[in-house]
Amino acid sequence: MRWLALVFPDWPMQALFRNPSHTRPLAVAHRQRVCALDATALAQGVRPGQGVADALAIAPDLLVRPKSSEAERSALREAAGCTLRYTPRVVLEDDGLLLDIAGSTRLFGGLDALLRHLRSDLAAAGFRALSACAPTPRAARWLARATPGQCVADDDHALAEALAALPLRAMEADASLLALLADSGLRTVGEVMKLPRDALARRDAAGLRRLLDQALGQRPDPRPYFETPPQIDSRLELPIPRHDIDVLLFAANRLFNACCTQLAAVHAGIESCRLELEHEHHPPTVLTLTLGTPSRDARRMALLTREHLARLALPEAVGALRLKAAHWIELAGRSEDLFGPLAPSPARRQEAGRLLIEHLRARLGPDRVYALSACADHRPERSQQQVEPGPGTSAAAQGGRRPLWLLPEPRLLQTIRNQPWRTGPLQLVSGPERIESGWWDTDGEASPGDALRDYFVALGTDHARLWIYREHLPPHRWYLHGLFA
Amino acid sequence: MSPTVPNGIPTGHAALDDALPGQGWPVGEMTELLTDCSGHGELSLLMPLLAGAETEGSWRVWVAPPHLPGVSALAAAGVRSRHLIVVRADTAGERVWAMRQALRSGVCSVVVGWLDRVDNALLRRLQLAVREAAIPLILFRPLPQAQHASPAALRLQLSARAAGVLRIDILKRRGAPANQPLYLQGAGFDAPPAMAPTRCAAPPALVLIA
Repeated sequence: MRWLALVFPDWPMQALFRNPSHTRPLAVAHRQRVCALDATALAQGVRPGQGVADALAIAPDLLVRPKSSEAERSALREAAGCTLRYTPRVVLEDDGLLLDIAGSTRLFGGLDALLRHLRSDLAAAGFRALSACAPTPRAARWLARATPGQCVADDDHALAEALAALPLRAMEADASLLALLADSGLRTVGEVMKLPRDALARRDAAGLRRLLDQALGQRPDPRPYFETPPQIDSRLELPIPRHDIDVLLFAANRLFNACCTQLAAVHAGIESCRLELEHEHHPPTVLTLTLGTPSRDARRMALLTREHLARLALPEAVGALRLKAAHWIELAGRSEDLFGPLAPSPARRQEAGRLLIEHLRARLGPDRVYALSACADHRPERSQQQVEPGPGTSAAAQGGRRPLWLLPEPRLLQTIRNQPWRTGPLQLVSGPERIESGWWDTDGEASPGDALRDYFVALGTDHARLWIYREHLPPHRWYLHGLFA
Repeated sequence: MSPTVPNGIPTGHAALDDALPGQGWPVGEMTELLTDCSGHGELSLLMPLLAGAETEGSWRVWVAPPHLPGVSALAAAGVRSRHLIVVRADTAGERVWAMRQALRSGVCSVVVGWLDRVDNALLRRLQLAVREAAIPLILFRPLPQAQHASPAALRLQLSARAAGVLRIDILKRRGAPANQPLYLQGAGFDAPPAMAPTRCAAPPALVLIA
């Protein structure tokens, strides 16, 4: 038992839509013939192989999409990426995957546990697969196609017995050849195995014998392994274009889950990704998701997407979603905290803080969430700046006592009888503190950066303590610059 | 006072601590500070809370402050401004949303917000979020809001009595109602000295004039 075969039923449809949840029957057609369909369509009487016109006559609200080989290839690569966590040896087939799990079955706690994990990973990405295990890749695939769920032990006799019971159609051979055998009265693989070799060769069926030998492990069957491309570009179509956030999020989640499982397999994370919402008549709406720290947390992506979607006005319903992520960043392994979430480590708190910031930014706008830091300038309005929240050095604080509230722009105060006035005369309590700086910030003729001021702490009639200044140069106007709150 | 009230975080002002049911700012509860004017030391009241409990990677969040926080004054009070996330939000809905996110993130040690008139339903949502977060949530609200009911466990009205003296009327608290206003005054009140990074540091010099 070395090979696990996964076969995706109705692959042309899964590749396009990933098992959508909806009520309208759905089918995929190739050359005007139905080649894959969902349960709803099947229940209404649509059958694979039917002409599209016949199918539409039977089920008038049937949605028919053309088969797309490109979508199938890309979806298969994505599904393969999801399984890379379980083994590095993954082989791509037309409508399924072959996984060499000899080395990892024990690691995941046995075949059943491995299958359970694998299925839930695939389901999160929207894939549904049938599986079977066998000592050779070809046998595993045949079993998965004909009798899914079977697991054949590593024993030649058992393998031959299991294969012998399979119907002829399990063999992936030329359809005309199989028809020929069927016409000769052969029904199972076992009956073909019993035929003498030269009898098969005489019927131009030597290839069939080769397949059988490979399935039985009597002939080498080398296969190229799948290699992950260092970027993600996956697309998912919606059967019906939709506006509602929940539907879009549900679909996006599948892409995120697949993306994150692939990242997990290569121990990488991403800092940002693009989610494109495709419309029929408009250029796609692009959401840029910034994660703050390199991460492969699908929940975090979903959270940010929800905020973006809540803010956006979509020009039109969305027909398909596409997730693009390049620039993978290697993520170092992380130790779990001994006390778990009760006492998160500083690193984890930092990360959760970053997440909070990105979350707030996603809804409120990137420039509306910030921290402040002091900088080396004597002018109060330039002594601090907006910075990225987080650890970092802050220049030493400047000057004397400063108020807790600074006005973004100094506010001109009335002057009555040579006294600054704000709902009443202001009484100067302490000062002046002369601030004379910024002559170097000349901007043309005037020098707007120049500050020549005498600062005072003043007391208003309402007992408020204010930070005011008088211009050093005429006309000696008074300004309110801060509040000792 | 009441044995069922959990311990709060010391406010740094002994007289105020004594008047509060949990001997400090209530944890896991909303506190409303109702005031109409600025410049009386109403923000300084919070500085020991913002400076204390400085643990690595713990954040303070200010949602919609009315002016720019002064970094020098914050530094003088021992508050690390780089770990203070300032959030600008316009509508009450956005402000409440931002506060709830901060409360739910589990990485903030205190959330301070400025709210005007707001739906009671939104306030109750905040109340639920702060219960789960188990940190103090301080809301600055305009004085007329004192006439409206609020789910806040503690409501203090702040006003100026004289220069540098802050008058605190306890409008609502757990346990027996308070009928005497408190007056806080101190040399270092505008900018209390930086406190050691422990919760139970000695409070700054304080004079109680009753």
